[in-house]
Amino acid sequence: MRSGLETCVAMDRTAIAQRRTEELVIEHQTKLARYLRRMVGDAEVALDLTQDVFLSAYRTLQADPARELRAGWLYRAATNAAISFMRRRKILHVLPLDRDLDGSAWRVDEHGAQSVDLQAALARLPVEQTAALLMTSYAGYSSSEAAQILGTTADAVRQRVCRAMKTLRHVMNEDSLS
Amino acid sequence: MKTASNCTTAEILAGAIALGEAGDEQRHAYREHLSTCRGCLATIGGEREIERVINVVAQARDQEQWQPDVRRALARVPARRHGWKWGAGLAAAGALTVAILTTQRHAPVVVRSVAMPDVVGVAALGTQTMPQREHRAESLAFTSAQAARATITFEVRLDKQGKPSRCTIVKHSGRASLDAALCDAVMRAR
Repeated sequence: MRSGLETCVAMDRTAIAQRRTEELVIEHQTKLARYLRRMVGDAEVALDLTQDVFLSAYRTLQADPARELRAGWLYRAATNAAISFMRRRKILHVLPLDRDLDGSAWRVDEHGAQSVDLQAALARLPVEQTAALLMTSYAGYSSSEAAQILGTTADAVRQRVCRAMKTLRHVMNEDSLS
Repeated sequence: MKTASNCTTAEILAGAIALGEAGDEQRHAYREHLSTCRGCLATIGGEREIERVINVVAQARDQEQWQPDVRRALARVPARRHGWKWGAGLAAAGALTVAILTTQRHAPVVVRSVAMPDVVGVAALGTQTMPQREHRAESLAFTSAQAARATITFEVRLDKQGKPSRCTIVKHSGRASLDAALCDAVMRAR
């Protein structure tokens, strides 16, 4: 049975974890959810995964209130959550390649002259390439930072970005022909 | 001479160019490789082509208008698959920590809230699966106007579809509004 002091300490840790998690949510929820939405191609799933990430942060902070959690920690958790989800649901194999996942909002005007379905292109990529591409070009991390988050090397991130671009280029060229 | 390792290096160089991390020397090395490798020229393209492709991603980021609200989303998340959104429902009521005492599908589910702050803005994290025995439902309180805490014990009955059909307060918090809000949220939980 808990003593009064232990209860107070537990409550204090909870309060600290809540406050720090709230700060993380306020600062990162938009970028993180958008990143996840591009990763999984579904807004509702992205919201679910975003919640999971902040829950993990909350639990981590509750266990160790002094621990420093930065954006990189959130993105690593988000990437792992997205990869787990996509592998679990085999989403890459289930989704038709030409599926417009969320209406016209997914299409990107390329220099105003043509439009490309970026999400359809992302759906064709291995998840590691999607993560590398989005982590750098979408979330704004350098290849070194992304490598730390993804647990690989900077050169591997650059190579994955290049291979993702090959597919993206292929889709763009297909789009321009159709 | 074109070799597989040269093409691998070229991919790394092209990635560096795309990310704006390549210096003059790396750009020169990439151009030299392209001059001897039709494969890379066809699949990756030159520097301008790399820029054109990578700009699509940057534009997607810049054109993004979706403004997700993690906390607000919790209150409206619909049922998905066989999932439950306990956290979503409990969020509105302000439950901080919930212990599921017994759970069995289509049978009464007893949920006891062991701590309930008087919360104004609350976000809770929903579980995707049916609550498990002794599972602690995920929930977070974000803004607490007052530090007042209360304990409520309530019972939820599920219908055949697994939806809450009845909520009964077993142990009152002493604050009728909190009791009512909790049951109201639980009944809307999916």
